[in-house]
Amino acid sequence: MPKIKIDGKEIEVAAGTSVIQAASQLGIEIPHFCWHPDLPVDGNCRMCLVEIEKMPKLQIACNTTVSDGMVVSTRSPKAAQAQRTTLEFLLVNHPIDCPVCDQAGECYLQDQYMEHGLHDSKIDPEEKVQKRKVVDLGPIMLDAERCVLCSRCLRFESHVTGTNSFEFRNRGDHTQIATFEDRPITHNYAGNLADVCPVGALLSHDFRFKMRVWFLKGTESVCPGCSTGCNIFVDHRDDEVHRLRPRRNVDVNRSWMCDIGRVEYKEIALQTRLRSARIRSGGNGGASWAPATLDAALDAVLERLQQAGSACAFVASPQATNEDLYAFRLLADKVSGMLDFRLGNPQDRTQVREDKVLLRADRNPNTTGCTDLGMGKSGIDAILSACRSGKVKALLLQGPELLRFVGAADALAAVPFIAVMASHDGPGLERAHVLLPAAAWAEVDGTFTNYQRRVQRIHRAVAAPGEAMPRWELAGALLRRLGAPLAATSARELFVEIARTVPAYAGLDLRAVGDAGRVLPPDGPAPQEARA
Amino acid sequence: MGTTRVVTVDRDTKPGVGPILLGMAITFSNMVKTLFGRRYSTIQFPEQKRNTSGRYRGIHVLTQRMDGTPKCVACYMCATVCPAECIYIEAGERPERDIEKYPTRFEIDLLRCVYCGFCVDACPEEAIIMSRENDLVGTTRAELIIDRDRLMDRGKLMEYGAGYRPDEHDVRRPVRVAALERLKREHGIVPGMPQRSE
Repeated sequence: MPKIKIDGKEIEVAAGTSVIQAASQLGIEIPHFCWHPDLPVDGNCRMCLVEIEKMPKLQIACNTTVSDGMVVSTRSPKAAQAQRTTLEFLLVNHPIDCPVCDQAGECYLQDQYMEHGLHDSKIDPEEKVQKRKVVDLGPIMLDAERCVLCSRCLRFESHVTGTNSFEFRNRGDHTQIATFEDRPITHNYAGNLADVCPVGALLSHDFRFKMRVWFLKGTESVCPGCSTGCNIFVDHRDDEVHRLRPRRNVDVNRSWMCDIGRVEYKEIALQTRLRSARIRSGGNGGASWAPATLDAALDAVLERLQQAGSACAFVASPQATNEDLYAFRLLADKVSGMLDFRLGNPQDRTQVREDKVLLRADRNPNTTGCTDLGMGKSGIDAILSACRSGKVKALLLQGPELLRFVGAADALAAVPFIAVMASHDGPGLERAHVLLPAAAWAEVDGTFTNYQRRVQRIHRAVAAPGEAMPRWELAGALLRRLGAPLAATSARELFVEIARTVPAYAGLDLRAVGDAGRVLPPDGPAPQEARA
Repeated sequence: MGTTRVVTVDRDTKPGVGPILLGMAITFSNMVKTLFGRRYSTIQFPEQKRNTSGRYRGIHVLTQRMDGTPKCVACYMCATVCPAECIYIEAGERPERDIEKYPTRFEIDLLRCVYCGFCVDACPEEAIIMSRENDLVGTTRAELIIDRDRLMDRGKLMEYGAGYRPDEHDVRRPVRVAALERLKREHGIVPGMPQRSE
């Protein structure tokens, strides 16, 4: 373990660590463009030049491996002068169109000019080499003038997706990135190109001109798009989500997320969101929906559940958080109804990867949580056949998935009362009799358990519309009416309950889960899978 | 108007006849000046207007390009710096490669505005300036939230003359000087050509 000294601070790091990584472990930021923690080192931008004792010339921190006794100075006059001069070179042909550039606010050029540059440009804007601007590459907009030729996008394309869409074209001052014949980016990871680009050369088409990034507040969360559970930031302003972007977690998604996950935020603010409860008027299968207060709807559900007694069934949703599932199971246990969560064999699909990068075939974020919390109690086929034979008098659904499943249509038709917790209006809901408005994933606190059995936290970013509530609160309201209120008033307290009562979660608390999540002990039902 | 006399009143003294007589004297002298000297302390407002300085901060104006489109590129600098949060902008796309972006909506809530002029200072395009117009009248709140077209149209209506605007004085200079001083103090760097030892 080599011991080195950076800017007077000593640190012992693993052999093979680069100077830039060692510095970041010390909290020292060495300016850089081309270096990225999850991409191979290229060392072309020359921004991270540092002075190392006994080395005659300045070295680039990203491609210099530490050796024992090394003494590095990142802010010595010589290093600072070199960094500033490099930055001046990179800015020679920069168009300085920050007012119209979406990268402004999270741009390495801006940050590093303010920190290390502050020089006067010696180049007349008229003399600058003009390159192509506003090139539409499908999900990505290319502006070659803003590019610093760091090749991060090339390396992302070659090492992460293997598609090699980008290339350098021309020479010298005229070098620019381009795709062959301006073909659009078609793979599912295009959004990451805008993220890896340190400047405004590659920008998201979806986010284009929508919002300036400094207005946005990033709430740490987990993507609900599939069972990989990529760590993300939910960027929002004034209770409106504007974009999702990946949050680095080396063990789950590194720095990436897929485009399917990236558009998940659009679901949140749709016009079809349920803002209040509804009860079907005109009796069973009746004509139309009548709006109702949440209390009236919950009372209606309660009445039917009590009438049905143990002849009721509960179907949980793998879209719900662990806290939701736990409260839902308490409710099912209280009325001793049948309980399950999904069709098919969930564990099979959870382990299947749809592509070689991140996306998994199971598009639910919390299937593993369902199995861990014992939601698969009765078997969905048993529930459906009980429905068909008329043994189920009341059915409570935690999500609308079962209503949209074609194979369950005849079973559902035989049930006299169906209540569903739904966040959106949509097809299938006409089969239900009571709709309870549920909050969407970005509007609740809680935890998801991904395919690795990693428990990860999601945080409430925006407010739920109208009367919509987290699903655990809806279940809790029913439990309170049944005389067995939840022993928790927040998702946080509910997690403490889970850790206390569910063996797999024993000893866990939210502090231990932290930002990066915590893998449950591997003796559970879902096998561990090594990551490629 | 002449010089203004400032009268300070010591509120700790016991009230008496003295201050009342002093006030009466000022009132009376003004009356005499108005009646016989024709030196008025007031103006006939809508017809007459007070002279304001060239840096007066009145109602905003969005400036235009030669083709009549707004100079504004919707960079949100004014909305960012605005302490009253009274500027609302939505951006759209323009076909010109060197402009790209323009405001499809640009609204200023003049009832919230505190007329600090920070938006003028922050604007990189000299797209928002202030006029010397100061009589803000409306019958509803909604009509005092002025939109992009009214802000641009006001260019023609600037009968009061232009007020606070960037060419009056370089507001960014002190910020830049402070940044350069910090760089020299903390890092010993003086921007310019690389300095050679010897």
